[in-house]
Amino acid sequence: MNASGIKVSLGLYTALFIIFLYGPLAVLAILSFQTGPEGGPQFPIIEWSTYWYKHLFGLTPPSRIAPLPIEQALVRSLGLAVMTMIVSTVLGVTAAQAFRKKFRGSGVVFYLIVLGMMVPGVLVGLGMALVANALGIDRHWWGTAFVLHVVYTFPFAFLVMLAIFNRFDPSVEEASWSLGVTPARTFRKITFPLIFPGVLSAMLFAFTLSYDEFSRTLFASGRDLTLPLAIYGTFSVEVHPNVFAFGVLTTLFSFALLGTYAVLMALSVRRAKRMAIQEEA
Amino acid sequence: MSSVLQLKNVHKAFAGVPALSGIDATLADNAYISLLGPSGSGKTTLLRVIAGFEQPDGGEILFAGKRVDSVPPHERGIGFVFQNFALFPHLSVAQNIAFGLENRVVDPVTDPKVVAARVRDIISLVGLSGLEDRATTQISGGQKQRVALARTLVTEPSMVLLDEPLGALDANLRMRMRSELRTIRERCGVTFLHVTGSETEALAMGDTVLVLDRGRIAQSTDAGSLYSRPASADVARFLNCYNIFSGTVEGEGFHSPVGMLALGGSRQASGTPAYAIRYDRVSIRPQDAAAAGDEVRIEGSFVASEYSGAAINSFFTLDDGRVFEVETHLSHVAPTAYEERGRYALVWKREDALVFV
Repeated sequence: MNASGIKVSLGLYTALFIIFLYGPLAVLAILSFQTGPEGGPQFPIIEWSTYWYKHLFGLTPPSRIAPLPIEQALVRSLGLAVMTMIVSTVLGVTAAQAFRKKFRGSGVVFYLIVLGMMVPGVLVGLGMALVANALGIDRHWWGTAFVLHVVYTFPFAFLVMLAIFNRFDPSVEEASWSLGVTPARTFRKITFPLIFPGVLSAMLFAFTLSYDEFSRTLFASGRDLTLPLAIYGTFSVEVHPNVFAFGVLTTLFSFALLGTYAVLMALSVRRAKRMAIQEEA
Repeated sequence: MSSVLQLKNVHKAFAGVPALSGIDATLADNAYISLLGPSGSGKTTLLRVIAGFEQPDGGEILFAGKRVDSVPPHERGIGFVFQNFALFPHLSVAQNIAFGLENRVVDPVTDPKVVAARVRDIISLVGLSGLEDRATTQISGGQKQRVALARTLVTEPSMVLLDEPLGALDANLRMRMRSELRTIRERCGVTFLHVTGSETEALAMGDTVLVLDRGRIAQSTDAGSLYSRPASADVARFLNCYNIFSGTVEGEGFHSPVGMLALGGSRQASGTPAYAIRYDRVSIRPQDAAAAGDEVRIEGSFVASEYSGAAINSFFTLDDGRVFEVETHLSHVAPTAYEERGRYALVWKREDALVFV
């Protein structure tokens, strides 16, 4: 195949990729502007309106369509995601730190940790429900589900940090020790600032994976639903475009999160850049 | 002269492979000591054991009279300068230098004014003035070297270990930093233990030169004695200025692969018999020239010569195929053109040869 042929096929591939990536989202976003309350979740758009966004926040006159029962679920999911993010990142960083030195049984421990993201979520969720029943533990989103979220997201944080430490030059730590600084303070003052971009990535992973986790949470969260479960629950009755409106809002929220991540990343490299400018001046 | 560091029978093996096999050494206080060893001789391991980054398997390390082999690195008070400098990339030059003072566990300096003053002093000592606020990525190799040194010296250790500190610099800068390192050390009055694989660097820098060979100290002496009287054929080989023949002593001659070499001068016991003659002790003569009574003469075919400014090194192949090197200093003689593959007589005085038995 000649060069232009390769170019065309790569272009086609990229276009398909983007269509499949953003197509569902675009459909969702368009349909969220359907008129209400009589408009349904399908084309054509009868009339453009922001009715369903208002409906979401209870700003519309009462109608036969009940408001989405997601307010508390959203709070729960955010809380769960933050808790999971903190615990998984701490575990991931410390575990990866431990793996910097070979220790006896490190191979087994590695696979034990990674297993958490390999095993099928529905089975683990079901298993957790059975264990909780057998031991007489109440199932809660902040209890049994939280544990499963950590088990699931910890390996991701761990692998991210493992990759970061792989490229980390341990001689800066040794240099710090030789200046009379304790290992603990060295970690805080030298190691942590240097691995911080990795820690941010690990946090992002843990947060987003937990935030929309479904299969593990399904059986393990008990009575109070998390956001993905609550949304799924509304599907079983009747789907209205308010779900789409909500989907658009959560997507925007995720982008905001990514934006924060990007800003924090940029801040951690800005110093060096600023000095580079001084240098040229 | 009092000693700052004593090593007694220090052992270290990695996965059963010995890296240090019984190091005994005493390092003088306020001295520049270079540690010469070929790659794989265990010199970096020795340095890391002294610093506490590695635990020795056996033996004793005494620093300032106290045993330190089980003391963690941050409590030893021994400075370390890394080959790659290991500067803290997220800190500026001044912050790098202040780091140890502010954060060490013993006697940290909390007054920012005192820190600033001491940082300023050391920055001018190592010649980094004007670069205080630069990032470590914004300075040259030689400047990084100075930051690494200043960062260590400002904490006032009694001893600084330098792991091939000039290895990452280009040749020009290396020459300049040599004398600077010596000057800085003299001003601070601490002991430097400078590890290097370069014999010229070891000789140029060290008040004392330790030669490390296969995990043992093969020789410990001043540069002049080391150069003229290496303790063994192996040490002579590291110095890279001796032609060495293996063989056996038979009566008044040394039986070598290129024939019998008449003996004169002294012999030293070293375990492995060998005969060594310095490159610059050999003269090149026409094949038909006869040797005087106190001279040794062999023959070789000229291969090539290498001009290095003040001297010219000529290479000959001997009858057994080995290469024989002769260094001629051009301040004494004008360079002679030799005929390629031509036979020449290579002659030296009997007493100039070192004979190991």
